[in-house]
Amino acid sequence: MGHTPELRVLLFAALRERAGWRERQLAATRGATPTTVWGQLGLEPADPAATIRVAINQRFARWDSPLAGGDELAFLPPISGG
Amino acid sequence: MAAPLLTIELDPGPFQPLAALEGWHSQLRTRLDGLPAAESSFVGRVRPHTSAGQPLAALELEHYPGMTETQLQHLAAAAASAPEVAAVLVRHRIGRVLPGDPIVLVAVAADRRGPAQRCCQELLEALKHEAPFWKREWLADGSGHWLGGNTPL
Repeated sequence: MGHTPELRVLLFAALRERAGWRERQLAATRGATPTTVWGQLGLEPADPAATIRVAINQRFARWDSPLAGGDELAFLPPISGG
Repeated sequence: MAAPLLTIELDPGPFQPLAALEGWHSQLRTRLDGLPAAESSFVGRVRPHTSAGQPLAALELEHYPGMTETQLQHLAAAAASAPEVAAVLVRHRIGRVLPGDPIVLVAVAADRRGPAQRCCQELLEALKHEAPFWKREWLADGSGHWLGGNTPL
């Protein structure tokens, strides 16, 4: 039985400062999605989909996208570039 | 038709837009058959005040290393899909940027003014909303405030 690679979770900007951490490793549970990980980590707000976007392996993804071990999941607060 | 030349750079320190354009022109002269007939460019600079109207000490630009560069490449390629577009340049600051300093430069070289101007505007709007950058306004008293979005067009 091999070691299951963990999920790497990243927070940026205001989200990172509100949560007080930048990066966490989590066991990838069966059926995990960005929504379940957000809840599991106790992040605020409770209903993030209106303002927060997610990226899986550095590409924008949906809140119900399936996650696998080894994935890099990032929660992105509202973007302000340019 | 050759794919457009895409040049994307994140700048951790100040850049001079005119020098950046000259450097880009030199590249284009080497890699294309001379400079294309039409060119459109946009320079964005940091305002001297915050979104709340207070004097701004500095703007901090955070990005997502890896994703930001990849996303800028995707956005530039999508905006440059018109066959007349020959080349695209994007320079974007990261880190601490002072009031009045350039924060973004977008330039598009094309065979005609229409595609050049459209591509430049589309790419600028796309990167403001679809490239992972975050701005924090710093005041003289050392307090900082993350912005929740962009100024309107």
